[in-house]
Formats: sequence, structure tokens, C-alpha cells
Amino acid sequence: MHRTKLASVVAAGGLAVALALTSCSSPASPEEDHPTLRLGVITQLTSFAPWESAWANESPYLQAVYDTLLRAEPDGTITEGLATDWKWDESKTVLTLTLRDDVEFSDGTALTAQVAADNLARFRDGTSANASFLAGMTSAEAPDDTTLVITLAQPDPALPVYLSQNAGLVGSPAMFDSPDAKTTPIGSGPYVLDAKDTVVGSKYVYDANPDYWDADSVHYDTIQMAFYGDPTALMNAVKGGQVDAANLQSANQIADAEAAGFTAEKSEQSWSGFLLVDRDGTINPAMGDVRVRQAINYALDREGLLKALDNGLGTVTTQVFGTTTSAYDKKLDDRYPYDPEKAKALLAEAGYADGFTLVMPSNNFVPESVFAVYKEQLAAVGITVEWEATGDDLFGRMLGGTWAAFPFLLQTDPTSWQTIQFSMLPGSAWNTSHVADPTVIQLSEVVRSGEQADADAAAKELNTYVVEQAWYAPLYRPTSAFITAAGTQATVQVGNTVPYLWNIRPTE
Amino acid sequence: MLTVLTISVLGFYLLHLGARDTARRIVGDTADPTIVARKAHELGLDRPIIVQFFDWAGSALRGDMGRSWFSGQPVTDALASRLPVTLSLTIGAILVTAVVGTILGVLAATRRGRVDGSIQVGSFVGAAIPGFLVALILVLVFAVGLHWVPATGYITPETSITGWLSTIILPIIALSIGATASIAQQVRGSMLDALRLDYVRTLRARGIPNRRVTYDHVLRNSAGPALSVLGIQFIVMLGGAVVVEQVFSLPGLGQTAVSATIQGDIPLVMGLIVVTAVIVLLINLAVDLLQGWLNPKVRLS
Repeated sequence: MHRTKLASVVAAGGLAVALALTSCSSPASPEEDHPTLRLGVITQLTSFAPWESAWANESPYLQAVYDTLLRAEPDGTITEGLATDWKWDESKTVLTLTLRDDVEFSDGTALTAQVAADNLARFRDGTSANASFLAGMTSAEAPDDTTLVITLAQPDPALPVYLSQNAGLVGSPAMFDSPDAKTTPIGSGPYVLDAKDTVVGSKYVYDANPDYWDADSVHYDTIQMAFYGDPTALMNAVKGGQVDAANLQSANQIADAEAAGFTAEKSEQSWSGFLLVDRDGTINPAMGDVRVRQAINYALDREGLLKALDNGLGTVTTQVFGTTTSAYDKKLDDRYPYDPEKAKALLAEAGYADGFTLVMPSNNFVPESVFAVYKEQLAAVGITVEWEATGDDLFGRMLGGTWAAFPFLLQTDPTSWQTIQFSMLPGSAWNTSHVADPTVIQLSEVVRSGEQADADAAAKELNTYVVEQAWYAPLYRPTSAFITAAGTQATVQVGNTVPYLWNIRPTE
Repeated sequence: MLTVLTISVLGFYLLHLGARDTARRIVGDTADPTIVARKAHELGLDRPIIVQFFDWAGSALRGDMGRSWFSGQPVTDALASRLPVTLSLTIGAILVTAVVGTILGVLAATRRGRVDGSIQVGSFVGAAIPGFLVALILVLVFAVGLHWVPATGYITPETSITGWLSTIILPIIALSIGATASIAQQVRGSMLDALRLDYVRTLRARGIPNRRVTYDHVLRNSAGPALSVLGIQFIVMLGGAVVVEQVFSLPGLGQTAVSATIQGDIPLVMGLIVVTAVIVLLINLAVDLLQGWLNPKVRLS
């Protein structure tokens, strides 16, 4: 009797708790007018201070509170932002922008061209990963409140693109000397950070800015961005209906997300493969011979590697330029078909019939099996790979030109010039041996400062040249995916791994 | 104080040994070396380690633990916003462990037979299954499958008590299962030993009801060792919270510890080290005081 009573009480209590918990975890009603967007984010925010900001996966955090001087359409076309008009001078070194005169920051300060100029200078001199975007800016001046004049030492056709990204973020001057600038944004963007409900590093809550100048870009009353560092936690949130949209850590999660009723917007934002950087043969004489570099390209079974390493999710390629750039040439996706015999013949022709040893860095964030597969494929044609274990020193040594070649996953930029600037010019960070090839330099100059048609033709020619010279041994462009739940839609952004915030919206 | 100081010196030194490229980790893998150098200078990483330590220690003594190198948030703010999450998780788990573990231990020791056998088997299984696996199973069944509770995230008790319960209940269960098994075994063993002692037979011979003998005398005498194990389990749970907070995406100290360590965010990791050291010292003090309350002989010794 006593035990029965106890059991009844326990059961009733349990039921009450279960009902209470269930009631508080019910998903939002679909009839609601999409007041809240719950966005899953896979990268923690580096900083809200524009001059320290990162982009790519972090762009939603920043686009919520800031405007950029220019914006980019999903296809990469540059369009109006804070600037309504922009034009280059004849030398293509001076860009003049006309700014809106009706914009205020969330602290009530008005946007002026001087504030924008100060932001640009801070970005150039700051510690953003992309500070080098503005390294060539010699001055940013404001002849009047709405005119901003940016002067460059040399032409940079990608400047408007940079101004649509973190280099173009404009914060209130009150942030400049604030010790809290990294965590307390004062922008003119479509939302305002709700500091009370925000947990730095975990969850950011934004409320719509009622006075925003571009009301059409504001689709939600509130946006909650939750950081999911663990892929399992993200997928649990997806399956549990706790996010409306999210970027996935891996394309392998697409099937699970689709099974949970999500739609996957797929894109290719990077390329995986080898950078054969010692094109002069300074570190490893064999690598200075184009036939050896071509042999490496022929030795790699790209289809097999894509299947084995990324479940076939991606597109094999032998070029590093992205599909949306003017340099892209579909034919160059299969310039080096898998042909170990051809690879051996090229090695013999170059005087390495008995093969040679190539030292490359391994790391602890790529499974060891990946390095084993690479080693096996290159060994099959006579190239002995010695993997040198690295730790925190990997990037410093890699960019310092320690190795003749190394495997890596690198971004594909939206424009040809950005790709060139990133890894092909003598001063490019990812041309780690700083090889100066006259043909590359000459064609790059045309891409940089030529008329559009000439620049596009030069970009194509340059792409063909570096593929023929086997500067790289790309394997494939892996698929990345942004998923949306029923009721939410998103448009993929060229050159950015996450759709721009205003392109994530309720389903029409 | 000496313990905290020693741990701080060791922690600072070891963190610097392992953080050779912190500036690059903050600004990004693909950043230009000049920007990496600029960041290293801004953070003072180009100064000797001894100077960096005394700088940090001097500020810490004044209550200023510095700012996170990564997020820029004051370390004290970061810890203050995350400590309640971890404490509610670990204190909840330790309460569940203490209550359920004691009940199971008492049942096993007093009932014996099939009840004892079942609790023994259950304890072995509970202790053997890793916490993260329990967490994953709980999420899949109760959050993803039944939608009874949210799969991830945290709701503060100020926002909603039931909401808070809904976000904390599964992590508490995941964290307490192994510890409960351990406490049940400890209580069972201690009680079986105590039940064989002469004074128990004497108490029974004097006609004192069995329930009073069991709970007022045997359990109290057996509680000492179990309390020591409970103190250790609390400390173990602080470590277990790291994994559980990751699985449930709870914004606690564990989640911060993982990301701050990966990022090489030394001020934040040092703050975590100091706070954890203080918590461990407080737990040991609390256990000692409780031991004295339970057993007057401890006070005399």
C-alpha cells in the first residue's frame, strides 16, 4: 500500500515535469510571422571591432550590426551599400564613393565620409586576417560629408569586393578607443545586439533596428545565432528542430539534414590539393622541373581520392580558379587525367627515373589516413614522400617557405585578381617561395589594370599557364552546404561560405 | 593560496610552451605573416615569458584577470556568465548522485538477493558506459525522438524555471550516471561492513527498530567514505562537464575550456585554471567539514 502510494506520487510527478518540459520546448508555430531566425553558426566570432574582424563563416555576426560601404549580390555583382555610387579614375588607383546622407549609428551618431575614411585606415592598420586587402591604400579622404576618396598605390580591381566584405564595415567613431569594441558593436546595420541575452562566444541575440534605412533587408524581428563547435551538437539541434538555418561543418552531414526535412543549398567554396610552391627548385631541385610537377599531377587519382576522402561530394579539378571567375576554364578541370605511366615517363625524362624524395608537412587536424593515401599514390610513380610532423608551428613554417610542396585546403575567391593576389605574385603570402615568373607577372598586370575584356582574356591565359606549369596539383573542389528548415530560404553567395544575412529569409 | 599560486605558475608556463603560434590562431590560418606579427605585438607575445607572467599575476591580484585574447571579453565577465551554467550542471548532478546513489546503496545492502544483484549489475554497467555516450543516447531518445526537451542550448532560470529544467535535466542525468554507480557501490560496501559490527547487533538486541538502526546508525557511520568519494566525483564531474557541455552545446566553463585551449587563449585558460583550483579547494574544505559533522572523531583528530 505504502509502496503503491509512493509509486503513484513518483509517476504523477514525473508526468507533470515531462508535460511542463514538453510545453516549453515546443517549436515555434508555423503561423507566426517569422519573428525569429535561429541561425546555427560553426565559427566563433573573432571580434566585433571592424578593424579586427574576420569574414566568411563570421559574416552573419557582423552583417547583423554593421553596414558595408558596398554590397554584393548572390552572383558576386557589386551593388549599393552605404555608398550609392562609386567610380574609378582613369589610372584605376582612385575610387570615389558617394555615401548616403540618411544613416545613423545605433548610438545616434551620423555617418559621414570622415567616419568611413577613419574606419578604412583602422582596418588597414589593424589585425584583421584580411587587413592586407587594404595594404595598398595610401589614403582615404573625405572632401565633404558624403564623398569618400580612396587612393591606392597600384590598381586593385578587387577593392569594391573588399568593400563589400569586412574591409568595408563601418563602425561608430565611439568604438575607436573603446576597450569594449571587440564585444560591443555600434553599427548602422539592420539589427542591434541584445547584450542582455547574448553569451559571448556561444549565443548572440539581435533585435531589428526600427530605424534602419533599408527596411526591405530586415526579414526578422529577432535573430539568434548559436555557435555549434561540435558537429554532433549541430546535427542534434537540426534534428531537434532548434535551428532554422545553418552552415554545415561537412558535406557528409547533408544526408542527415535532408532526412530531418532541411533543404541543402550546395556550393563549392574551396579547393583541396597540393601547392607545388618550390617552382625554382631552391628547396628540392626536382621541383624546379615542370615535368616533375606535371608528373605529380598525373600520379594523383582525383576521382578515387574524392570518393575515398570526401564521399564523392565535390568536383575534381586541376585548376585553382573558382568557377565564377573570369579565369575559369572548364577544360582545365581535367588537364591531368590519372595516368601513372605518363607520370613515370615524365620523371624519367626529367632525370628522375629512380624517383626522388619529397618532404612535406603533415598535421594533426587532417586524419593520418589522408596522408597515407597521398603517400601511396605518389610512391606508385617513384616519389617517396616523407611526412614531417608539425604542431602549432605549421602555418608559420609553411608560409615561411620551409617546404617545397604541401597539401592544403584553400578558398576559391570570387574574382580572378583575388586568386592571383593570394598565391601567384612574388609577394603573395601563399606563393611561399616567392617565385617571380615573368609571364605570371605580365599577365597579372593586365588583369589588374587592363580594360575588362583584356583583363578577362589575360586571366584565362594566366590560368592556362599556371596549370601547364603545374604550379599546383589541385584534386577537387569539395561541396559545402547551407541548410534551411521548412519556412526558411537562403540564396548561396558566390565567394562566401555562408549566404549574406539579407538573403536568408522566410519562404515566400 | 600557495596551491593556487603554484598551479598558476605551472599553468602559465605550460600554456606558453604549447602556444607557439597563438597570434596566427587568432587572426586566422591564411593571414599574412605581417598581420600575425602585428597581433603578436599587440598581445605582448613578443615579450619574455617572465614579464608576461608578472604582468598577468599583478593584474590578477588586483582582481583583473585580463581580457580574452580571442573575444576581447573581460575574463571575469566570461567566467561569471559561464560559471552558473557549469555549477547548476555539476551541483544538480552531485545532488542526483548523492540521493540516488545512497538509495541504491542502502537498498542493495539491506535487501540483498535479487535487488542487490540487479543494483550491482546496473552499477557496473553505469560505471562502464562513457558519459558522452549516455549523453548522445539521451539526446537521441528524449530530444530528437520524443521532442520532450531541447537537444541543445541553455535557458537561464531567470528566464523560465521549466525552461531551465528542460535544458539541464538530460546533461545532469548524463553526468550523474557513472558517479551514481560509484556512490551506490561505496554505500553498499560500507553498509555491509558496518552491518556486521557488534554495535549493530547490540542496537538490535535492545529492540531498536530496524529502520532506525539502518538510517540513524549504520548509514551515518557508512557515510564518511561515501562523502569522500562524492567530493572526488564532484571534481571528476567538472572534467566530465567539458564533454557533456559540448554535446548539449551548453555555454558553460567546459565549452569555454575546449575552445580557449584550442585557440591558445591564455588569459581565459588561466582564469579557468584559477577558478577550477578554487572550486576544488572549496569542495575539499566542504567535504572535510561534513566529515567532521558526520563523525565527531574526525574533529578530534
